[in-house]
Amino acid sequence: MASSASSIDTSSARIKKGVAPLRAGQGYSFVLRRLHSLSGIVPIGAFLIEHFISNSEASKGVQAYNDQVKFLTSLPFVHVLEWVFIFLPLLYHGIYGLYIWYKGDSNVGEYPWSGNWLYTSQRWTGIIAFIYIAYHVIDLRFLGVHLMGGGYQNAFSKVWFDFQSPWTIAFYVIGIVAASWHFAYGVWLFAAKWGLTTGDNARRKFGYVCTALALVLIGIGLWTITGFVRTPAAQVPWVEHD
Amino acid sequence: MANSKTVIFKIKRQQTPESKPYWEEFELQYRPGMNVTSALMDIAANPVTRQGKPTTPVTYDSNCLEEICGSCAMLINGQAKMACSALVANLKQPITLEPFSKFPIVRDLAVDRSVLFENLKGVKAWVPVDGTYDLGTGPRQSSEMQEEAYPLSNCISCCCCMEACPQFNDKTGFVGAATIAQVRLFNSHPTGKALKTERLKALMGDGGIQECGYAQNCVEICPKELPLTKSIADVGGQVMWQAVKDFFRT
Ligand code: HEM
Ligand code: SF4
Ligand code: SF4
Ligand code: FES
Repeated sequence: MASSASSIDTSSARIKKGVAPLRAGQGYSFVLRRLHSLSGIVPIGAFLIEHFISNSEASKGVQAYNDQVKFLTSLPFVHVLEWVFIFLPLLYHGIYGLYIWYKGDSNVGEYPWSGNWLYTSQRWTGIIAFIYIAYHVIDLRFLGVHLMGGGYQNAFSKVWFDFQSPWTIAFYVIGIVAASWHFAYGVWLFAAKWGLTTGDNARRKFGYVCTALALVLIGIGLWTITGFVRTPAAQVPWVEHD
Repeated sequence: MANSKTVIFKIKRQQTPESKPYWEEFELQYRPGMNVTSALMDIAANPVTRQGKPTTPVTYDSNCLEEICGSCAMLINGQAKMACSALVANLKQPITLEPFSKFPIVRDLAVDRSVLFENLKGVKAWVPVDGTYDLGTGPRQSSEMQEEAYPLSNCISCCCCMEACPQFNDKTGFVGAATIAQVRLFNSHPTGKALKTERLKALMGDGGIQECGYAQNCVEICPKELPLTKSIADVGGQVMWQAVKDFFRT
């Protein structure tokens, strides 16, 4: 044996590649990540529930719906409220959510298990909800007849005219299902990550609760759509506007 | 021939940490009770590929051969598994063996998993009993505490939970489930508790517990069945309380 064994170096100190160890005491990702998690529940999730319930007034007809819009648009500081409690948190949650997605490596191909599928579906439902919400907000809040400051009489009509296209209805159904699912599973994730449901049984039982939440939200959403679709054109007022 | 059944292995090999990987195929005589490590031993005894070409024995880690040392983890048919307890009879053929994909390769199937050791040091995963005098016996632990702690003490540092975790990668530098479980173990220990605050603060650093996306692969893959998702939820709560205390009381 001429060559000495020292030609094979197995010392780990020389290998500098690989996943970095924990950076204890460094960075702000903890706060940003927990803020992302919280923002999904309040204010975004709370608003989602309010929004579904408010809109379900459509199932009671034109007047009830427009009155609800009148109430909401007449809230004091309504522009401040919508930016602070809706738009900015949504932008934060959405953009940081995309960053979280980018950093993870979905691996359902190798590990096709239900928790892993739900992890992946939380990303896809998130982006679907984001695209849908962007369209929905631009179309109904920022374009067309303005509903703020007395324009509430047009509220039902504005949505009703949109729903004359089956494509729009289909897109709403997809958006409602995605947002409901994302929120409901998000509540489950929140409870697990913040240490509210530590036990395996607690997590399983809360899973049923969140599934029910998703189904109830989807149900309200679809019921609301039928409220518009069921209303004949003759009952839909067309209020002149400039 | 009484037993002519053979098994085919496709093994991903790599000569040095930096060189290019390549595949080699081996055909072995099947033996009852054969496992992946024993197959690798057979290859070492006769390192000839399926095509009849002489080659070098495949490098792999192993020690205890009874799933207790944690050294033999590798990707078997694409999933993180312990080679010594992976029975060939239970595996789909041809059996592919690859080194872990998220750890630096030393050679062939041997990888460097020292990141787990660094992480355990980072959270002080020990009971602080060093001193200049005999500290005497520790406080008694109730049997309930023992029942909670024992499963956590079963971790064999194999890193399967980290390899299978979608959040454990270069971009996150996530600490992984094993370390979080050890934080729970040592925080629940009556003497280990002394370092609880330091451990929780360490887990708030970049790559800390917040990176977990709760995909639950860790708990599915863990060969020692550690209650990993329960530990992540429990320690997640502990970390939150610590953060709230830090925010309002300091
Ligand atoms: C706008 C587009 C959205 C994107 C890209 C997005 C993305 C994400 C991602 C990636 C997660 C998982 C975080 C993790 O696993 O660690 C998540 C969690 C969550 N999202 Fe969203 N989301 C969006 C919209 C929404 C909406 C509209 C709601 C509320 C209705 C919502 C509520 C939640 C909740 C409650 C969680 C759980 C928080 C947690 O992980 O602890 N998200 N989101
Ligand atoms: S629950 Fe999922 S994301 Fe969290 S450590 Fe386990 S495998 Fe990784
Ligand atoms: S927790 Fe389980 S999978 Fe992870 S290192 Fe320990 S024994 Fe291995
Ligand atoms: S050789 Fe020890 S765990 Fe497989």
